[in-house]
Amino acid sequence: MCRNFTKLFSITTVIASLFFLTSCGGQQQTSPTTPPSTQQKSPTSTQKIKVAFITNNASDFWKIAEAGTKKAAQDFGVDVIFRIPSAGTAEQQQQILQDLITLGVAGIAISPKDPENQTEMLNEAAKKTNLITQDSDAPNSLRKCYIGTNNFDAGVEAGKLIQACTPPGSKIIVCVGTLDAQNARDRLDGLKKQIESTGHQIIDVRTDETDRAKAIANVQDALVRYPDVACFVGLWSYNGPAILNGVRDSGKLGQVKIVCFDEEDETLQGVKDGHIYGTVVQRPFEFGYQSVKVLKELAEGNTTSIPENKQIFIPTLSVTRENVDTFWSELKQILGKS
Amino acid sequence: MRKTLGLIGLIIVLCILAYSWEWLHWYQHGRALGLPFSSNFLSLTNFKNLLPWIGLFGILALAQSVVIITGGIDLSLGSVVCLISVIACILINKGEGWSPFLVFPLAICISALIGVWHGVLISYFNIQPFVVTLCGLFAYRSFARFFAKDTTQGFGNALSNWKWLGKGSLLDWFPSLQPTGGSPPSTIALLLDLVAAPLVIMIIFAIIVGIFLHLSPMGRHLFALGANEESARFSGIQTNRLKLMAYVICSLIAGIGGILFAFKVNSVQPSDFGSFYELYAVAGAVLGGCSLRGGTGNVPGVILGIALIMVLRNLVNILGIRSELEYVVIGGAILAGVCADEFFLRRSQKRRALEAQRETK
Repeated sequence: MCRNFTKLFSITTVIASLFFLTSCGGQQQTSPTTPPSTQQKSPTSTQKIKVAFITNNASDFWKIAEAGTKKAAQDFGVDVIFRIPSAGTAEQQQQILQDLITLGVAGIAISPKDPENQTEMLNEAAKKTNLITQDSDAPNSLRKCYIGTNNFDAGVEAGKLIQACTPPGSKIIVCVGTLDAQNARDRLDGLKKQIESTGHQIIDVRTDETDRAKAIANVQDALVRYPDVACFVGLWSYNGPAILNGVRDSGKLGQVKIVCFDEEDETLQGVKDGHIYGTVVQRPFEFGYQSVKVLKELAEGNTTSIPENKQIFIPTLSVTRENVDTFWSELKQILGKS
Repeated sequence: MRKTLGLIGLIIVLCILAYSWEWLHWYQHGRALGLPFSSNFLSLTNFKNLLPWIGLFGILALAQSVVIITGGIDLSLGSVVCLISVIACILINKGEGWSPFLVFPLAICISALIGVWHGVLISYFNIQPFVVTLCGLFAYRSFARFFAKDTTQGFGNALSNWKWLGKGSLLDWFPSLQPTGGSPPSTIALLLDLVAAPLVIMIIFAIIVGIFLHLSPMGRHLFALGANEESARFSGIQTNRLKLMAYVICSLIAGIGGILFAFKVNSVQPSDFGSFYELYAVAGAVLGGCSLRGGTGNVPGVILGIALIMVLRNLVNILGIRSELEYVVIGGAILAGVCADEFFLRRSQKRRALEAQRETK
């Protein structure tokens, strides 16, 4: 009896799931048949252009970008599918990319996790739809263009902040999640280039594999090993709060300068309180907005806004104590926090 | 006992190695410049940094060891840490939400319920612990991300008293002893500062779990269950209930650990907060003498095991070993420790067998 019941149960489950699948598929199949009935009306008003935006992980940064895509969706009358790979892996990005192409979107803006190894995957996608990269570029792929920060320039900006808050020849420690990400390398290179002239030296680079607890421990350990360090630089967004916490726990607040990137709440609070000298922020809102705009234009066959070198750079902003209040209130407005 | 002594020995050897490494470095570079030698690794500040982390990870390792002793494993530990801290952060809402006196008991209850869920599936439905907790590993993190809407959570500037549990030390209780102005702190103050709150909490848990495992009849039954479930059942132990309890204890302690982690770090990103912590806990438990086959393990060993891993992590930073090589050092050391243990175990078994032979002759 019991065995019969389980058999019955599994069979019904299989049948039910089959029904579910076919009904989903059915919906997709019916969509191409709808245009004939609506063809009399102008096609643009009934069929909105559908574009997609793929992030590389889940964070506040992408929340801001999402707000940008939404604004652009309103302004330009397109549908935006915003996808966040939950595990933040390259495999997941591939799955999402394939699914979106199956869905038939007119264009995709992606932030490739591992650009060099994903080139093939990006090229496959670029053959089937308008593909652009944002935030992180894959210059060797067939992408139509790149929209994002020039991380080398962002590093240079951070270098200027360091020069403004420490005397020439000071010792600097860099903290970052992993150094195999291109943006980390570019920022570091820009930073090195800028501080070369004033004799500032980077005495160590510590990585934490994006484990926040470890990011704090790294800072504490570095303060033990190098008591004469003048300034910490955090290359990734969470490194700012982590450095602040580590320095605070070690009781060296005020003695060690902090320069970081991005706009986490704790970072901005640190800037406001004067514990962090400054932070170099990207403009994720613009990433989202411009990506949707360019994708919409590409879908309409318009390539005028893509420059010769296929790179659209969105300049960074250095937030210090002077402009933190205005920047923060604007940010809160975008994110819908009061 | 032998195991515990071996681990203490291993930690001492590591300290000596680190000390000599630092000395060599000074001998080669610093001596010529006339710098005095001082060890960064064996310094008070370093221990002050290191001990809270041993406390925090030690709590997780204790949780894991209870389950490992039954022959199971809890892979969802890191995700439970993440989920519980996210829930706590959201409900407290930087001090504007519910009262912490309501939220923390609630969060701990949720973690216990997760344990009940694991325990029921594993013991009454006979599903393998690896599978159940693996699914938990995926699901709870995803829940956490859903609840947090993928935004970073934290307590902000609220709960400054509660945060003592994660980042304070005993010195905070004695304001009169705290160094004022430029005067150097007294020896008592320095020692009190070393006794970090998470370390104290970990020791309290270690004592409770230790009494439970090693002195109570229930603990004995747990070991029997781990060694051979069937014979334990035939000898009248209610194995299902016992296993359920082990998973509840595990998740409960992990949940408390998660809240402490949130106090310490105060920035909980649901997508990666606590990821891989379950594996640190497993590594600590195994290094401390727990067998993944179940039936063996002891609390002091587990604490020393996780301490060893934390010391290794700290050493990599302090000695300036390149970050890339960190996991080579940790992985290599764990493997070496476990292999050495096996080697000594076999040797002593052989010797005992020989002695037994001699006696019979």
